[in-house]
Amino acid sequence: MTAVRWTAAGLLLASLSTGTIADSRPENPHLILGGYQVMAADFHVHSFPLSWATLAPWDTALEAQRQGLDAIAIVGHNHVWVSKVGRWFSRREGGPLVLTGEEIVSEHYHLLAIGIDSTIDWRQTAVRAIEQIHRQGGVAIAAHPLRQYWPAYDAQATQTLDGAEVLHPIAYGSVDVAAQLRQFYERAPLTAIGDSDYHGLGPMGLCRTYVFTKEKSQPGILDAIRHGRTVVYGRAGCTYGDPDLIRLAAVDGRLPQLALRTAAGATQAAGFLGLFSRIAGTLGLTAAAIAGFAIVGQTPASQIVTTGSR
Amino acid sequence: MLNPAAAYRFLACQPPGRGGWLTWRRPLLVAFVLGCTMSLITSSSLTLRLAVPATIYWSFVPLAEIAALAAVCWRGRRARSFRQTVDLFFAGHGQWLFWLIGLCAIWSFVPPGISSRTIAFTQVWLYGAGAIVVVWSAYIDFWFFRLVMGRNPARAGRDLVLQRLVSWAPIIAIFGGPAIPPEVAARLGVRFGL
Repeated sequence: MTAVRWTAAGLLLASLSTGTIADSRPENPHLILGGYQVMAADFHVHSFPLSWATLAPWDTALEAQRQGLDAIAIVGHNHVWVSKVGRWFSRREGGPLVLTGEEIVSEHYHLLAIGIDSTIDWRQTAVRAIEQIHRQGGVAIAAHPLRQYWPAYDAQATQTLDGAEVLHPIAYGSVDVAAQLRQFYERAPLTAIGDSDYHGLGPMGLCRTYVFTKEKSQPGILDAIRHGRTVVYGRAGCTYGDPDLIRLAAVDGRLPQLALRTAAGATQAAGFLGLFSRIAGTLGLTAAAIAGFAIVGQTPASQIVTTGSR
Repeated sequence: MLNPAAAYRFLACQPPGRGGWLTWRRPLLVAFVLGCTMSLITSSSLTLRLAVPATIYWSFVPLAEIAALAAVCWRGRRARSFRQTVDLFFAGHGQWLFWLIGLCAIWSFVPPGISSRTIAFTQVWLYGAGAIVVVWSAYIDFWFFRLVMGRNPARAGRDLVLQRLVSWAPIIAIFGGPAIPPEVAARLGVRFGL
């Protein structure tokens, strides 16, 4: 068992060393198109605790930076305080722009409230929730609006919504789901949003929104969403958003190329060091679990504990 | 892990170890594996940036389990110290760790671009293998209460349920938070004041 322990320690040390060396932060390209600054954003990011997420807000902000995101909205499930912690940390550390927000999780709909400061109650209709988001100066985005959530968005709610997630990782798993998101988006003139709904599994920003802002700030991003200045790139050449901006980006060529790389997950730990870290890490953890939890030994009959009855 | 009755019979007969390290060695290993898991599934590699802080804040899981164990077992420990009780209880956590490592392996080795195959495989592992681990860990802990704590079958079952309730309720509340009531309501078709 001692040999297994040493093997585990060696593998984990090697994995941590190589993984840390390979853990680079890419420089985000500063794109200016048509006089707008183009920001890569993910408006549907969850943080630990209280949202079924694995990373704390400070780690979430750093991970966003590593995934080449300029802005994220940390949206707690029915609360905003974790996003405030994330914003405070990111400002302090010079990380990406963290927008405060909440995912209003009701039994009838899921709604992203971006740019708000106080928690909005989930026990109300979508229309009333949207009203409250607007009253706080935020924008309302329908989160993964699958068919089951459509009844919650009546005509009034759909008209007052600012945007809808037209691209979400669940769309990559099913043609039908992708069609449902597209159909909802086409119901009204809504701003196109691509979000990863990040809980910790898979890369943050796998689906992302390119926001064409006048200034790199929360008001600048909210203004762009209100006025529909976004572009979202899906797979197989699907592009959503403002047709003029899509054309502008296509003529320039840099943004579609960048989007293609991120959609393929190019920001994950790549190269030999990354591969080595993941192999050594998985083997090291397995060896540690064997060394720590396998019980090796025989039970002499004379030593069997008699179980009392209490 | 595969034969908990024999393993706990063997362990219960071993002379008790000494020192505070005995209490913390296995819980710390559980926290460390949790932290490494978070790093691997997030960035596909093991980095100090993610593994160290995640180990710290995910240590609330073993801490909640230790607190629940104290609540359930403190009075009926016989001559065994609480340190040894904690160590023997956590000796039955191997299956959880292998399940977590399996999750790491899936998410760090498959291409990060999500496909229907990845989603299906993850769900089978998360829910299918997860359900097996829940049942198997209950079986292991039942034998812990029987052989280490010396409970009769009925009392062992009661302690097992109590331990699960006292530890899992705060863990789930901290992890899932305020969205749990509407999520449960949505599954049950219950309406909240609309």
